[in-house]
Amino acid sequence: MGSSDAVTVTGVSVTRGARRVLRDVSLTVANGEVVALVGRSGSGKTTLLRLINRLLDPDAGEVIVEGRAVRDWDSVVLRRRTGYVIQDAGLFPHMTVASNIAVVPRLLQWPPDRIAARVDALLDMVGLAAGEYRNRWPDELSGGQRQRVSLARALAADPPLLLMDEPFGALDPITRSELHDEFRRLQASLRRAVVLVTHDMVEAFALADRIAVLHDGEIVACDVPASVLASTDPRVEPLVRTRVAPKRSEAGTVEPKRGEVG
Amino acid sequence: MSDLLAFIGSRQAEFLARTGEHVVLVAVSTLIAAAIGIPLGMLAARRPSAAKPIVALANLAQTVPSLALFGFLIPLPVIGGIGTRTALVALTLYAVLPVLRGTITGIQGVPAAVTECAAAMGLTPRQVLTQVEWPLALPSIVSGLRVAVVIGVGTATIASAIGAGGLGDYIFRGLAMVDSTVILAGAVPAAVLALVGDGVLALAGRFADPRRRSTRGRLPAAALAIVVIASLSAAVWAGGLAGRRDVIVGSKNFTEQIVLGELVAQVIERHGLNVERRFNLGGTAIAHQALVSGGLDAYVEYSGTALTAIFDMPPSTNATLVLELIRNRYAALGVTVLPRLGYNNTFAILVRKADADRLGLRSIGDLNKFSRARAGFGYEFLERPDGLTGLAAAYGLSFEGQPRTMDLNLIYRAVASGEIDVTAGDMTSGQIEALNLVVLEDDRRYFPVYEAVPVVRAGVLLRYPQVAEALRRLEGVISNETMRRLNYAVDAEKQDAFQVVKEFLDTIDRS
Repeated sequence: MGSSDAVTVTGVSVTRGARRVLRDVSLTVANGEVVALVGRSGSGKTTLLRLINRLLDPDAGEVIVEGRAVRDWDSVVLRRRTGYVIQDAGLFPHMTVASNIAVVPRLLQWPPDRIAARVDALLDMVGLAAGEYRNRWPDELSGGQRQRVSLARALAADPPLLLMDEPFGALDPITRSELHDEFRRLQASLRRAVVLVTHDMVEAFALADRIAVLHDGEIVACDVPASVLASTDPRVEPLVRTRVAPKRSEAGTVEPKRGEVG
Repeated sequence: MSDLLAFIGSRQAEFLARTGEHVVLVAVSTLIAAAIGIPLGMLAARRPSAAKPIVALANLAQTVPSLALFGFLIPLPVIGGIGTRTALVALTLYAVLPVLRGTITGIQGVPAAVTECAAAMGLTPRQVLTQVEWPLALPSIVSGLRVAVVIGVGTATIASAIGAGGLGDYIFRGLAMVDSTVILAGAVPAAVLALVGDGVLALAGRFADPRRRSTRGRLPAAALAIVVIASLSAAVWAGGLAGRRDVIVGSKNFTEQIVLGELVAQVIERHGLNVERRFNLGGTAIAHQALVSGGLDAYVEYSGTALTAIFDMPPSTNATLVLELIRNRYAALGVTVLPRLGYNNTFAILVRKADADRLGLRSIGDLNKFSRARAGFGYEFLERPDGLTGLAAAYGLSFEGQPRTMDLNLIYRAVASGEIDVTAGDMTSGQIEALNLVVLEDDRRYFPVYEAVPVVRAGVLLRYPQVAEALRRLEGVISNETMRRLNYAVDAEKQDAFQVVKEFLDTIDRS
């Protein structure tokens, strides 16, 4: 655990009833690094994500964010320093786009003109014209636009860490690929630590610096994409092969989503 | 319709007071129901295991028929008795369920992704509630409140039976008088009130909706909300004014009682005190309960009724003894019996004046001179112990054939038209003189006495000695004939009881 690590997970286990959802999981995310958690449904990737901003507490093991165990963080403070993006965007339907983006800055009691300026800058950053979208309501946006707003909202208070749970999962392939490009562009300049949950291998290969493969609550591989791709582990290989291998050269571009993995 | 407008126009002040009472009943009970139902609903929405019993309980409360609910509440301490407080308890019980349901539906309708995101962004549980769940659940809560208001306006009309006032006063009075104009004077404004209340809340809901696109329509909505809030507060304030009274005078729910209530109220007012009227109470038990519990300070009871219905003793024909008995029993309850008004509202054996003159009929015994007299009676008179059987035995009467049984309201006309020759009516019925009938004297004193006596809480007499002074002015001033005339003026001639009594008191004051 170096001081350059945004997140360190050590020997974490989570039990739900009789089921071990996570078993002795360890993972490190360096500052500025994008780590994708992949695996079949039920493999424990969302659970692992929710441990990081203390939406869940582990039964054993330790989660450290910015050098400090999460149970020593005030969870509200921790969450305000952690961007969060989920599949359905989770935008507040009773707030305008601007208001949604401004939630955390408002909680942090930024002055109104600073918030307004930040909202406009963020809208620009995610490719939405501020003048046009600022006062829209979430249900007036397309799925892709909602996800852009959600990303802007997560970035609003400039958090060092972003947690994303299937952020582009509900989008059509073209929009998803556009957002992948957008994300890469943003990440190139922002260099945040990002934990990205996905079951789309294409997405993982397109966006992640490292890929952690979860299988039945355990991390069975955690390495740069090329190494994961080369893995012969029977728990890793099928995932990689069915989703990526045939179209490796096109990874991250227009890849129609085929049948679900799990 | 023009009748209705004329009726309302002729008693604007009373109408406004009743409407104000109605609005206050519904508004206050809905507010209390909101204060109970919304937090409870939020709790239930969070813990589905708690939701079932809570909703079941609220459901149960709503299935109790309103009149029965009022009946259950009257004997209870603190929340019971008669008057506004009890009515508010009952109305609140009814209003809680729709508010509860609206809240549960509203909170459960907030998408899980939204609340999860809110928590993940660092909103405290309290902020999640106030900034996310509450605004999103609000439309559903408002529709719950709207249902509560509409139910409340309807149920509040029944609150009149326990002396809470409101527009139900007109409905019950109209039912007692068989006068549809009076019924409509309560029913139509109540319907309008329900629509207005619903509309106001609908507008308020729209006003509270954060998604009003433009400021257009915002101003009128704001203005309307202000007007409504202002008129509500005015109504409450007026209610507070009505609350600044010295003495509460009540009556039961038939014409003679309302006339007597007016009589007592006005004579006290003429002695410089403020009087609140709680007329149309739904029966002897309710009026008595109110007097004892302090919901009423005074009303006029009948000595025989007090003896038998309240104190559960056998009826008696001895006027002095009856008064003595009830005076002692009332005293034990802190109630003083004031001097008799003068008349005795017992049964009256009635014949046509022509027959009485022709046959020289003066007393009931003289009926034996009336051969082949055909009799007709109300059902009750044939059944009760002090009814026909005893009467026939006491006077040795026999009638031609079986006496006919008929509705009480029809017997007077049946005698007048010659369908029957003899009947037992109400001593103070206005129809006796109007139909040219004559009361035969009960010289063997068969019928129990039902003398009208004011009963007043002793505490009130101590605090306001003028009350006793005022009511002594009424001692013996109302003969059977006077009472009949007053009843007739209100019942048959549809005059306003207030005006009839005022003119009567003027004549006494002049004499």
